[in-house]
Amino acid sequence: MSDDSPNPNWQLVPQEDCIRLTLTLPVGTTPLPPTPPIAGGFSHQQLEQSLNTYLCMVAGRWGSQNRVRLAVQNQLLDSRQLQAIAASLGQQNLELQWVETTRRQTAVAAASAGLSVDQTPPEVTLISSSPPLLPPTPLLLRQTLRSGGEIRHSGDVVIIGDVNPGSSIVADGDILIWGCLRGTAHAGAKGNQEAVIMILRLAACQIRIADVVARVGADASDRREPEIAYITSEGIRLTPTRQFQRPFST
Amino acid sequence: MNRIIVVTSGKGGVGKTTTTANLGAALARLGKKVVLVDADFGLRNLDLLLGLEQRIVYTAIDVLTEECTIEKALVKDKRLPNLVLLPAAQNRSKDAIDADQMKSLVDQLSPKFDYIIIDCPAGIEGGFRNAVAPAQEAIIVTTPEMSAVRDADRVIGLLEAEDVSKIHLIVNRLRPEMVQLNQMISVEDILDLLAVPLIGIVPDDQKIIISTNKGEPLVLEEKLSVPGLAFQNIARRLEGQDIPFLDFMAAHNGLLNRIRRRLLGS
Repeated sequence: MSDDSPNPNWQLVPQEDCIRLTLTLPVGTTPLPPTPPIAGGFSHQQLEQSLNTYLCMVAGRWGSQNRVRLAVQNQLLDSRQLQAIAASLGQQNLELQWVETTRRQTAVAAASAGLSVDQTPPEVTLISSSPPLLPPTPLLLRQTLRSGGEIRHSGDVVIIGDVNPGSSIVADGDILIWGCLRGTAHAGAKGNQEAVIMILRLAACQIRIADVVARVGADASDRREPEIAYITSEGIRLTPTRQFQRPFST
Repeated sequence: MNRIIVVTSGKGGVGKTTTTANLGAALARLGKKVVLVDADFGLRNLDLLLGLEQRIVYTAIDVLTEECTIEKALVKDKRLPNLVLLPAAQNRSKDAIDADQMKSLVDQLSPKFDYIIIDCPAGIEGGFRNAVAPAQEAIIVTTPEMSAVRDADRVIGLLEAEDVSKIHLIVNRLRPEMVQLNQMISVEDILDLLAVPLIGIVPDDQKIIISTNKGEPLVLEEKLSVPGLAFQNIARRLEGQDIPFLDFMAAHNGLLNRIRRRLLGS
C-alpha cells in the first residue's frame, strides 16, 4: 500500500425519503475474482472514528432527513461494526434504519442487530460478456422476527422462527416461514404473480403477493396445519399443504 | 458474581417500578445485598414506592458531576439494611446522562452488591438505551393486553440486538376470571408470541395500589398477600430456587364462574 493509507471511504447523499450513506472500503491488490473486502480489517472503533470525522466534515448538509440507509455493497460487516456505525450516526441525531448489502453474512448481522435489511443481488460488473441469469441466493434467517423488524431481499426468503406482529418480510421471490406468521409477508414484491408463501402456522396476519393483498382474520388460531398462499383469479388463496395440487412453476 | 438486571417493558404503566421495588425488597429479605438504580430521569417514582422520597439528598447526577461520592448518594432503607436506592434526578431530562455515564455508575456499584436492579423508563429512546447499556440480563414486564405484549416483543428484539440474551418475563396484572371467560389473553398465548422464559405471574390486586400510595412494598407485609407472595416467589426463582407457579386458575374455577361461562356459552 502506498502512502495514501487505506481508509474507509464514506459518502453521504440526501435522498427523498432518507439519507443514503455509502461505505467503500479499500480493496487490496487481489486479482480477479475479487475477494470481498472484509471490514474486519478495520476495527469497529476505526470505522466509528472515520465516520465521526466524515460526519463532522459534512455536518448539516443532510437537510431535514434523519433516517439513514447504509449501502455497503459486498463488504463484510459484523453486528458490532454496524452498531458502531449506528452509534456514530446517533451522535448527529441520525438514525440508521436500513442496511443495503449484497452479502448474506452482513444481511444476517444487520437483521440480528435489529436493522431493516435490503439484500440486493450482487452486481455483475467487469465481466461484460452475457451476464449470468443466476437468481439471487436465498436469504436464510434463523431467528424470530420481532415487532419493528423488516427484511427485504431480492430473492427467496427462508425464515426459521416466527414472524411476530409489527414485523414484515418483503421478498421478490418466494417466502418460506418455518414458524408462525403473525406479521406481514409480501412475496413477489416486484410483481411476480407466481410467487408463493409457505407458512408452517398461520395466525392473524397480512399476506401480499405481487400487488394483491389478503388479510387473515383473528379466527386463524384454529389453523394448525401448514398452508400455502398463492394467487388465483379470485385473489389470494390459502390451501393446506397436503391438498396443494398446483405444480410449481419450472 | 453479582447480577445486573434491567427491568423494562416498552409500554408505560405496566408495573416496571412496582416490580423493581418489590423484587428489590424481596431479594434483600432473602439476605442479598441489593441496590436499585432509578434510570427514569425526570419522572422518577421508585423512591415513592419505597417510601424514601423525603430521604433523598443527592442523586445520580450529583455523583456524575462529582458533587458527592456514590456512597453518599445511596439512600438506605431503614426496614431492610440490605436494600439501597440510587435515586435519579427529578429536575433533569433523560438527555442529562448518556450510556457511558450509566455504565460508569453501575461499575462503581458493582463490587459492593449482589444485585443491581435498574428501573428502566418507558419507551425505546435514549432513556431506554441508557438503562440497558450496563445490564447483563433483563426482566420484561408485560400485562395481558395486546399493546403491552406487542411493545414487549419490540423491546425483546432491541435487547437481543444489544446482546442482552438472558431475558425473563413477568406477566403482571393478570385477572384469572377474565382469562377464563376468554376476555383476556392467557399467559400461554403471551408465551407463544414472545418465546422467552416466564419467571412469574402477578395477579391484579387493589392492594398493589394501596402499597404504592403508602410507599411500602407488598413483600414487606407481615402476612403476605397473593401479589406479595408472587413477587417473593419471583425473587426466589431469580436465586435459582425451583418454586412452582401459583395456580390462579384453580382458585377461580368455582361454581359461580362455571355457571357464568355456561351462560356466556364459552
